[in-house]
Amino acid sequence: MSDHIVWIVLFPLLGSVVCALSGAISKKICYPTSILSMVLSVWASVQTLLQAIESPVHEISYILGGWSLDLFPRGVGIEFRADLLGALITLVVTGVGLIVALYSKVPVQRETPGKEPMYYALFLLQIAGLAGIALTGDAFNLYVLIEVAALTGYGLIALGTNRAAAATFNYIILGTIGASLYLLGVGYLYLKTGTLNMVGIQEAIEAQALHNSPAVQVAFVLVLIGILIKMAFFPLHAWLPNAYCHAPTTTSCLLAPLVTKVMIYVLIRMVLSVFGVEFSFESNLWTEIMPWLVVVAIVCAAVMALAQREIKKMLAYLIVAEVGYMVGGVWIYNYYGLIGSIFHIISDACMTLCLFLGAGIILEKCRTTHFDGLRGLFAKMPLTMIGFFVGGFSIIGLPPTCGFFSKWYLITGGMVSERWEYMVTLMFSTMVMVVLFFRLIERIHLAVDESGKNLGKGHGDLGLSSEQTRFDEAPLSMLIPLLIAASIVLIVGVYNQEVVDQIEVFLRAYDLPTGVTYK
Amino acid sequence: MKRAALILVLLIGLLLSWAAKDFPSWGNPQAPASSSPVSSHFIASTGVDTEVPNMVTAVLADYRGFDTMFETVVVFIAGLAVVSILRGGPTRRTRDRKFVVDFEPDLIVTNTVRLIVPVIQIFAFYVLAHGHVSPGGGFQGGVAMGASFILIALSWDLKTALNRFSIDRCFTVAALGIIIYAGIGLLSMVLGGEFLDYAHLSQVLPVSPEMARYHAMLGVEIGVGFTVTAIMFALYASLSTDGRMQDGL
Repeated sequence: MSDHIVWIVLFPLLGSVVCALSGAISKKICYPTSILSMVLSVWASVQTLLQAIESPVHEISYILGGWSLDLFPRGVGIEFRADLLGALITLVVTGVGLIVALYSKVPVQRETPGKEPMYYALFLLQIAGLAGIALTGDAFNLYVLIEVAALTGYGLIALGTNRAAAATFNYIILGTIGASLYLLGVGYLYLKTGTLNMVGIQEAIEAQALHNSPAVQVAFVLVLIGILIKMAFFPLHAWLPNAYCHAPTTTSCLLAPLVTKVMIYVLIRMVLSVFGVEFSFESNLWTEIMPWLVVVAIVCAAVMALAQREIKKMLAYLIVAEVGYMVGGVWIYNYYGLIGSIFHIISDACMTLCLFLGAGIILEKCRTTHFDGLRGLFAKMPLTMIGFFVGGFSIIGLPPTCGFFSKWYLITGGMVSERWEYMVTLMFSTMVMVVLFFRLIERIHLAVDESGKNLGKGHGDLGLSSEQTRFDEAPLSMLIPLLIAASIVLIVGVYNQEVVDQIEVFLRAYDLPTGVTYK
Repeated sequence: MKRAALILVLLIGLLLSWAAKDFPSWGNPQAPASSSPVSSHFIASTGVDTEVPNMVTAVLADYRGFDTMFETVVVFIAGLAVVSILRGGPTRRTRDRKFVVDFEPDLIVTNTVRLIVPVIQIFAFYVLAHGHVSPGGGFQGGVAMGASFILIALSWDLKTALNRFSIDRCFTVAALGIIIYAGIGLLSMVLGGEFLDYAHLSQVLPVSPEMARYHAMLGVEIGVGFTVTAIMFALYASLSTDGRMQDGL
């Protein structure tokens, strides 16, 4: 048996311990240590993904502590299980972690001077927690890792600007409620099934026909609401915008692409692998309610994004809208919707990363992300703006960026299930995003301020001195990660079929309606 | 708003009571949680697998040792987060100087504490090392140990306690605890097992695989104890002084 799967989590864990210890020796080793441990972790997750693709059952199981399934009942030890979905998400988590680690040099020094050892220790533990969530096959271990990811998140956010503390407090309260609901749900499941292993729970629900058991149904509701809070689904999103807006640059670059997306992975994992397709979609009324909640969520979040005058805040509301897309893709309940949802997790992580890296550079160079401070940025930082808008166009869904293809599958799914309301909402939200990003381009290129007053003197004049429009790119340690992220958005878009192939292999094991009936 | 919250609480209460009627009856040996193959295995074979009489410790430190490692990491994170947030924060609440009185440590208090602290610390070691056979273990032992340092800080002042256990040393010890825990796991991996598969340590220890699990459990409990002790004290020192590490309560 190969050990790569557990190294994915162990490299960041050990890296964080080294960073915490380095406080006594030299603060300079934190940045190289975190890059090194992330490179190794990415290597391990690539190996795991390749092994999962090659294995005949398309998954790798690793029982921690040597309680192998041949000798002991399933669930005696904790199991790490990487099927294709888990392995793909893990690669996304570690990949984003590596890019943000490269990017972190300048902003961490500026925003948290003197605290680098602790910052990087929390940073690496965050990645260890998130990667562990994507790999674990044990419902309680998942809770422990959610706790690791959440606590590091609180710490990382609270190190931001003055207002970050209040935002973090809000996040702690809501995040704790979410995690507690999840834990209570897992407790109910254990009460009825006698195991914490995900496969074991699924088998017990099938074998003992627990589909109509009130305790299991309440467990489903508790787990679902807990995860929905954690992923900032619309009426439960209140913690997200302020937390991501006031967090240090590196923190928002790391958390924004990953936390909500990993929680959607947990939702898919719970629905498909723990409760089962039949239980989740056919024997309760959630299937009717959820798509409408999704419609409300996407519309409200998109409108709120439209009302923002600051890039970071606007992006935070965009994340809330994107969460609505993915939850919708799951609950329209068919094959294409789920392909769309899973692919959108991957592509949304890439494009949100791109946007937040870009916004971080703008904040670093201009000291503001308010729309009024953006004039002339294409002249000043052309490469940064190209990277930023590649992410923006992907959010809108322009080919050949990856956002186009994931949205395509989501819309196909809505069509196949005849969920017209979901399709219309997606179209509406796409239009809103077009407005959002082209308004930004307009604000950069035109010499008008908030009230529409012309600041320039005629054609082509932005009302800025030549000093302000001179070429002045971001430091390379920030620019290169952004350009890598932008090219990943394009590469995943161009090679979307390869990714979707793997998702299809994963989904074929579940009995999902495809809706295609040729008569 | 209060009324809406009340209605919500009542609704959730009703939902939970509705679920409760489906619970297996109290103490029923046929209940899934008692009769499942997993529980049966723990009850029947803990002694065979690990030689540890205390089933709870075996489940905590061995069968589900990976969870416990991350619980230790959670304690570590709590310390890191609190200390890094409070240290040199931008908004420093100026303490009302009126209430700060110069005082000499009280003779009776300090002498009592002088007598008690060694006893507390020895008891902490007992709780830590005896976790295999009786209730106890790394978390409880670590808390008792950390409390002894807090007691020193309370009866003398924070400076006296920090001279013995500075914040930097706290984090060194806390990280060391995690290194011990993960290191035992890594060592069993190097020796050819899975991560945290203590049985493979019998290749380097002069004992049977079952006894290797027994001893490795003590090892990881010591790691947990290190981390919990250090973080307990670091949290106290940081929170009681708004991160300034002086004066204090």
